[in-house]
Amino acid sequence: MAEHLQSNVSQDLVWEICRPNNAYLYAGFVNNKAVGIQPAEKGGVTLTTKKTKHLNRPVANKNEVSWSGQKSGPKIYKGIVNYTAKQGYRADLRQEAVARASAIRQSQKPKKEDPELKLRGSKAKKAEEKAT
Amino acid sequence: MAAAKQHIKIVKKRTKRFNRHQSDTYKCVDANWRKPKGIDNRVRRRFKGQAAMPSIGYGSNKKTRHLMPSGHKAFVVHNPRDVDLLLMHNKTFAAEISHAVSSRKRVDIVAKAKQLGVKITNAKARVTTES
Repeated sequence: MAEHLQSNVSQDLVWEICRPNNAYLYAGFVNNKAVGIQPAEKGGVTLTTKKTKHLNRPVANKNEVSWSGQKSGPKIYKGIVNYTAKQGYRADLRQEAVARASAIRQSQKPKKEDPELKLRGSKAKKAEEKAT
Repeated sequence: MAAAKQHIKIVKKRTKRFNRHQSDTYKCVDANWRKPKGIDNRVRRRFKGQAAMPSIGYGSNKKTRHLMPSGHKAFVVHNPRDVDLLLMHNKTFAAEISHAVSSRKRVDIVAKAKQLGVKITNAKARVTTES
């Protein structure tokens, strides 16, 4: 019985209660359906969604899919969309989810070293004197 | 480092400070603004040639309020995890490292921000050492 118990508090009520204390426009813990995108190991991306079945069992309520960093970007984005928006699961978050996955992938790439600054004026003169 | 989003030109209607009435005459009167309350006060009554009083009309356009010249808003961070928050907002917010963070931890924050393409306003503070 308890397993099939739906949450006895509606999403809207929870949101109305926490909105005054919430800095965000959305919050995943409020909605029965939510999309999370996090960086995974070795340049990969993990998609987390909530199941609607076990609302009162947070551990059992999670669905996770990962893509390795070797997959190309568009394939990952397509995968994310196939798992969520295409199935009518939070289709409103399609663009945000893909944008976040893209930003995460971008952040996992090695970045160029900053070029060494060229000294100017009196500092340059001092460095030159030292060198000679 | 991500450049800021396009924004309309930042206009500051006034950049001079508002000094308290008679703060130039008496050293015991501080320059910090206090509204004159006296019944005969000429500044309060806005007589010709008197100092201007602050008013809401001097406020900045809401679209450019709190913007730095670069077009970002400042967001204070204390550790690399705080920088993570700005991943999707590196065009609107720039990270500003809190003043009490040590140079050792500043290096981590700067590295993290570089990975995420987040601008740091005070990246050089404490990190660069004197040669």
